[in-house]
Amino acid sequence: MKRKDISIPVEQPKRSNPLANVFDELMDFCRSRSMFMLHYCTGCGAIELPPAMTSRFDMERLGIQPMVTPRQADILLITGYVSIKTLKRVIMTYEQMASPKYVVGICSCTVNGGMYWQSYATAKVLKDYLPVDIYIAGCMPRPEAVIEGLRELMSDIKQGKANSWQRYYKNYDYYLGNQQKLFGDNWQTPTDIIAEARHYNLISEQTEGKHTAVLQQHQKPLEAFEARLKHQQGQAREQ
Amino acid sequence: MNSEIEPRLDKLLAGMDDVRVKLIRPRRIRIDVPSESLPTLLELLQGKASYVHLSAISCVDWIDNGEFELVYHVWSYESQSLVSAHTRIPRDPGVYLSIYDLYQPAAFFERDIHEMYGVFFEGSPDMEKFILTEWDGPPPMRKEFNSEEFVNQNFTWEEYRPEWLEEIEAEGGGIVKPASHARR
Amino acid sequence: MRAENYESISHPPSNEFELNFGPNHPGIEGNYAFRVKVNGDQVLEAKADAGYLHRGFEKLMEGRLWIQNLALVPRICVPDPVPMEVCYSQAVEDLCGLQAPERAQWLRVMQLEMSRIAAHLFAFGGHAATTGMYTPSFWGVADRDLMLDRFEELTGGRVYSIYNIPGGVRRDVPDGFLDRLASLLDYLESRLADYDNLFFRNQVFIRRARDIGVLTQAKALKWGVTGPNLRATGLAFDVRRDDPYLVYDQIEFDVVTEEGGDCLARNLVRRGELQQSIRILRQVTARLPDIEGPVRAPIPNPLAWNVPAGETYTRVESSKGELAYYVVSTGGDKPYRVHVRGPSSMHAVQVLEKLAIGARLEDIAQIMFSLDACPPEVDR
Repeated sequence: MKRKDISIPVEQPKRSNPLANVFDELMDFCRSRSMFMLHYCTGCGAIELPPAMTSRFDMERLGIQPMVTPRQADILLITGYVSIKTLKRVIMTYEQMASPKYVVGICSCTVNGGMYWQSYATAKVLKDYLPVDIYIAGCMPRPEAVIEGLRELMSDIKQGKANSWQRYYKNYDYYLGNQQKLFGDNWQTPTDIIAEARHYNLISEQTEGKHTAVLQQHQKPLEAFEARLKHQQGQAREQ
Repeated sequence: MNSEIEPRLDKLLAGMDDVRVKLIRPRRIRIDVPSESLPTLLELLQGKASYVHLSAISCVDWIDNGEFELVYHVWSYESQSLVSAHTRIPRDPGVYLSIYDLYQPAAFFERDIHEMYGVFFEGSPDMEKFILTEWDGPPPMRKEFNSEEFVNQNFTWEEYRPEWLEEIEAEGGGIVKPASHARR
Repeated sequence: MRAENYESISHPPSNEFELNFGPNHPGIEGNYAFRVKVNGDQVLEAKADAGYLHRGFEKLMEGRLWIQNLALVPRICVPDPVPMEVCYSQAVEDLCGLQAPERAQWLRVMQLEMSRIAAHLFAFGGHAATTGMYTPSFWGVADRDLMLDRFEELTGGRVYSIYNIPGGVRRDVPDGFLDRLASLLDYLESRLADYDNLFFRNQVFIRRARDIGVLTQAKALKWGVTGPNLRATGLAFDVRRDDPYLVYDQIEFDVVTEEGGDCLARNLVRRGELQQSIRILRQVTARLPDIEGPVRAPIPNPLAWNVPAGETYTRVESSKGELAYYVVSTGGDKPYRVHVRGPSSMHAVQVLEKLAIGARLEDIAQIMFSLDACPPEVDR
């Protein structure tokens, strides 16, 4: 089967408008005021999110709302230790999210393994695998701390400082290397990060390297996911 | 009521060899049984003495003796007592009989012991991996597997070097870690 | 595309599809996954996929001191951590031949029941959300938070309190705590009528939950179900009453049962247990001032504590069912083996897989929440 060209054409229009920077600031302001968070309850910290979201602490008054799908979410909340099995799903979820996207690591376990530092099953330093915007330490942090951390993220976004998602494209080789070390060399996600980096014009010298070369050796072409009925599938195969 | 349980069990198990019944404290009875007669014992306990609830199956790795100890905790709703049946099987090859036909909850515990200790239960409905599906190391609960060593080989740590510490270190101070506490 | 995550699905010649339900799904309690086979929206087969929360607790505990493990055990079940501490402490006490002083036992009962109330409020709040009713879940979480405030006052921790240690509890109640607890109990009891109107007697909920996920008594016994799920099938078994620990034999309470065995009955059992827990706590607050004495038995230096060799099996009734610890000591300063029998390990895996068969896809979340499955107990 011939491989389709899936690369996205890059268009970088020149910014001739003198108000462009003003628009950027306005965009950042608006972004910071409406944040949809995907809370992946990887661990204990998830138990403090319902109080933070509901009546008593009420995050929604700050414009932070839970979102059920990664495609429409802005923030990925990693609430607690990430076991290796979960980390794979977390990375896939992260890559599905649309940019700009922010990662918040809640609980001490995401910082440095926390109290499970001896455990063979948990990944220790989250920021080796994903670019983390902000850590909220504590075991577990109180709802006030969670809200405080998210407010800090909001102010970072407003000032244009929260750009960890760009780091992921610019240093993809580093992150992929750490992921490969943990999951094995045949680790691959359905998202083509290098093509996306090209699309956002965020490609840098560290985007590609020896780890992405390993990835490209065995990367299967991205195809539409087939979910058809068997009898139709049979006909499709014959063609 | 509780004092009657021990003689009753003694009477019930009189036909079996090598079975020792001991009342540890009220409602807790320990039975030691050789591995070949454990299924018979459990069948008697379930059928004749109303021990219908399998509370848990625990596995203990006695690496020095080269044995696994399997402990079957069964509870009777009627006599309100818990029998722990202890048996030992050789560590190698680590194969034993499933009691799924008697107690259905055994499927979960046997599957758990299989992936944590590598003991295979013949006749258990599902011996597939369950929790450790993405783990390809040795069964982690075996005593020879050292979790700390594995972690030190496979993971790196975040360095904690705040500014105030660097200032202290510039003056010749700092955090002194004893060698035994080093995470390498 | 990694094969294990994205294997192409082989469909039989029918309208059957396989769906991945979880691990990051709003209808799943915690970090847990299902692979379901559906025809239309009817579930033909469900396979649980656990291990996302696996930390290897039992291995970790073998490498830490007896007293260090106290910080680990509550993390096994996040919504209801206190029974874990109590059960572990009891196991260590049992091995050492220690006896917690009477006052400590009453304090433990108090904390256990507070935890049960918090867990049940959270459980039915979560269940309401799966049926599309968000007000009860907001109320449940908000009222649970009032209980967490009392936990914080008593122990310093909102969720993980680590208040129990082998030999008793860490410290006595603060001044005026019992009065504040009593007024909270009054408030919670007055809320029950609101909850009834809003949720438990609401036709929207009743029609949605009746005859869904029916578990008969025979099946429940066969599959080893315990706790509220067993009591919802009509069998009055409660570890607190039938295998008493602490001072539960001096306390009056009813074992709440229901007949239906469906989602509705399980929720009604939890509602009844809320009432019973309030009743128990009232007795505790009335009795506690009269009980003098220390709250902690003297224990050896916990950092060099060699627990005598032996083995023990202790059981506690947690809000999800029967919780048990099998602890083996060889006389060292660390446990030789700790086996946790998580209450959810039965109903979150085998029972859920079986109850899901024939149910509709949208009811899986409801069945899971009505069973009050707690995935970290399965994974450990």
